[in-house]
Amino acid sequence: MPLIDPSVVDLSRAQFALTALYHFLFVPLTLGMTFLIAAMETVYVITGKEIYKEMTHFWAKLFGINFAIGVATGLTMEFEFGTNWSMYSHFVGDVFGTPLAIEGLMAFFMESTFIGLMFFGWNRLSRPAHLAVTYLTALGSNLSALWILIANGFMQNPQGAAFDPVTMRMQFNSFLNLVFSPDAQAKFVHTSIAGFVAGALFVMGVSSFYILRGVHKEFAARSFRMAALFGIVSSMAVVTLGDALGRLDYLVQPTKIAAIEGLWQDSNANSSAAASPWLLFALPNDATQSNVAEIGIPYVLTPLITHSESRVIPGLLTLEQQAGPRIDSGITAINALQQFGETHDPAALATFQQHEQDMGYGFLAQEFAPNQDLTQITPANHDAIIAQTEKATIPNVFVTFWAFRIMMYLGFYFVVLFAFAAYYSLRNELEKHPLVLKAALFSIPLPILACEFGWITAEAGRQPWSVYGWLPTFQAASSHPVGYMAFSLVGFALLYSCFIAAELYLMFKFGRLGPQHHEDHEPAGHAAPMFATGAADKSWQ
Amino acid sequence: MGKFFKLAGLAVVIALAIALAVVAGDYGPWYFAWLVGTTMIVLIAAAGAVLFDTQEPNSNGKV
Repeated sequence: MPLIDPSVVDLSRAQFALTALYHFLFVPLTLGMTFLIAAMETVYVITGKEIYKEMTHFWAKLFGINFAIGVATGLTMEFEFGTNWSMYSHFVGDVFGTPLAIEGLMAFFMESTFIGLMFFGWNRLSRPAHLAVTYLTALGSNLSALWILIANGFMQNPQGAAFDPVTMRMQFNSFLNLVFSPDAQAKFVHTSIAGFVAGALFVMGVSSFYILRGVHKEFAARSFRMAALFGIVSSMAVVTLGDALGRLDYLVQPTKIAAIEGLWQDSNANSSAAASPWLLFALPNDATQSNVAEIGIPYVLTPLITHSESRVIPGLLTLEQQAGPRIDSGITAINALQQFGETHDPAALATFQQHEQDMGYGFLAQEFAPNQDLTQITPANHDAIIAQTEKATIPNVFVTFWAFRIMMYLGFYFVVLFAFAAYYSLRNELEKHPLVLKAALFSIPLPILACEFGWITAEAGRQPWSVYGWLPTFQAASSHPVGYMAFSLVGFALLYSCFIAAELYLMFKFGRLGPQHHEDHEPAGHAAPMFATGAADKSWQ
Repeated sequence: MGKFFKLAGLAVVIALAIALAVVAGDYGPWYFAWLVGTTMIVLIAAAGAVLFDTQEPNSNGKV
């Protein structure tokens, strides 16, 4: 009987995808709104104008709703690594657990502490001290993302660890390599700035609602202006950073980049590498390993991905073939490792070390070996198993291709929207262009959607690996009964749907209410602005 | 004396910022880009608000 039930693996993946996608509905707003709120408070501290304090209060209230529910959805994911992915936790727990622990101890505690001071410290802290607290809250929320993405960076491009054949797991050899992994760095910057776009469009969209209705106009116009400028720089940065991340994937995850581009043949297969088209539209068919329809722009793909004019991008079919010898070598590695575990034979250890770099491919072949046992591979079934494993080394192309394209098209849409918004705001002509205001309002969910598709691109494109090149997803799951997994999946779906309903209800409720004028609770001795020359200006009211 | 300590404090902050820039620039160029970029984004947004206030007297209530 097979050791690993594929249904359990699929259900574990579905459950993690569900919880991660739900959680990521909240994360981008948290990442982006904190810094935008900090910018608003900065203006308040510098100018002393009460309207900026009101803006800080109002947007912080909406941020608080999002933050509270977002935290609740994130907690379960850390436990899922232990419950549903115990093999993964055993294999890379020493490495993966470290950034997660640091995230809990440093970023999460920092964020939670300062968020309390941010909300309840207005009457207890001086203005500069409160501003510092707001910046520390923003920094804490982004540091939280940083440590998660360092952990994810290890899964995409394992660095800073080596496999120990005695303990049978990966162990740290360089913390600095883990933290400064190019993949982790690029992912963090791309994700964080994508959150800035989400935060900016949220503030801009809600402000548009007020302007269209003709209420809170002074408040909304200032919020819109700040969000539009915050958003235009962020959206341009996120596109540029995405391009750089693509080049990094080309260097370290060739199967992912080929799937993203729907590239079955090498980029120089039809003419020269330089002339190969970048596909605007295609329908990749994973079964036939070809694209059904293609619309592309010639001469764009190679410079876009390789940042050169002539480097060849290997196609998925080539990458499959290249995996063949590595699978054979990996099978030798796993058999030698098994022998070393049983006999501690130095010769077996030497054989393993010779093939260690291909160990992951041996694990991958286990799925297709009789009874998932590599020792049962015979000359009669060898070629069929290698062929099956070769096909399993590439991700689902249709999903990866379209997840990336939706994210990217949305990214360019945001640049255009923010450009118009910033232009009309700077000319004080927003009311003359209700189309831009309506577009901003109805685009509020789109950056969050783009972030979701970005996550799908990164994770679906990494398949079939949990840890790229080392541990297949198939080998990473726990062995639960199918019923348990189905029950918990439905439970999570219902619970998280309640969270979403609560978030939407509260956001709509407080968003419609708009800014409520607060009484001035400034403590004695802090009535004057920090840098402003005049008294606090309340003329906007 | 107070001014001296203020200047000394600022000098320490500048030295730390330069050290951070050198280390981050060498080992974590993306992290460095995030630090600089985020600061720039926040400052541009803040500058937009200040500009709004200077435009306001001439805007006749237009937004």
